[in-house]
Amino acid sequence: MKIQLKLYASSKMLSDSDILKVELPNNSNIGDLRNVLSKIISEKNLKHLQNLPKTSAFFGELNEVIYDKYKLKDKEIISIIPPIGGG
Amino acid sequence: MTLHIALVKIEEEKISSEKAKKFIASEKNGAESIFVGKVRNENDGKKVIAVTYEAHDQAVIKSFQSICNNAKDKFDKNAKIFLEHVKGYALVGEISILIAVGSGHRDEAFKICRYILEEVKQLSPIWKKEHYADGNEEWLPGHSLRPKKEVK
Repeated sequence: MKIQLKLYASSKMLSDSDILKVELPNNSNIGDLRNVLSKIISEKNLKHLQNLPKTSAFFGELNEVIYDKYKLKDKEIISIIPPIGGG
Repeated sequence: MTLHIALVKIEEEKISSEKAKKFIASEKNGAESIFVGKVRNENDGKKVIAVTYEAHDQAVIKSFQSICNNAKDKFDKNAKIFLEHVKGYALVGEISILIAVGSGHRDEAFKICRYILEEVKQLSPIWKKEHYADGNEEWLPGHSLRPKKEVK
């Protein structure tokens, strides 16, 4: 299955656009997505992003945090939320 | 109306303290507290020329509503609150956040202002990229929203 990940802040370095399409095995959850992102970061040699999968939260379509056990659906659109710091 | 919240696109509009003062004005209130956050010209020994603010718009607005309503419940249900944060490329000296509170008494006005600022920093998905005089730029580290129980 394929999901679309909306990118924010430093995570935008994962793609040339604001969305990263990620291929995952069926029944994957957010924890699996974290592992796939780690692999992508390692393949692209983006050393400064190596902590991103561990430190980021993910928002679902209702703009609320979705947890590691949350099962992703094919074509689902979610957001990666790197550590924040406005003000 | 006792609550005004907004994300302001800096390329289209500037945050205005006059607008904020007008919004919170009320003869019922004996205290007004205003916090203005600005882009400063230095961070960690580096000369800063500007900051780009990025936001997850819908989640930010949702968090602003929740933070301000919590502040009212906690300190003063009748408080008038104005909260705006910028989005986009802000030069040194420009306002990044403005919180204005009108309340019956000074203690509540100060407390609400401080509470909102700290909660925005902890809960609202906004990011800062600093632009330096030497041409470099950097996303600043921040506070993780990942649930603590998931972090090993």
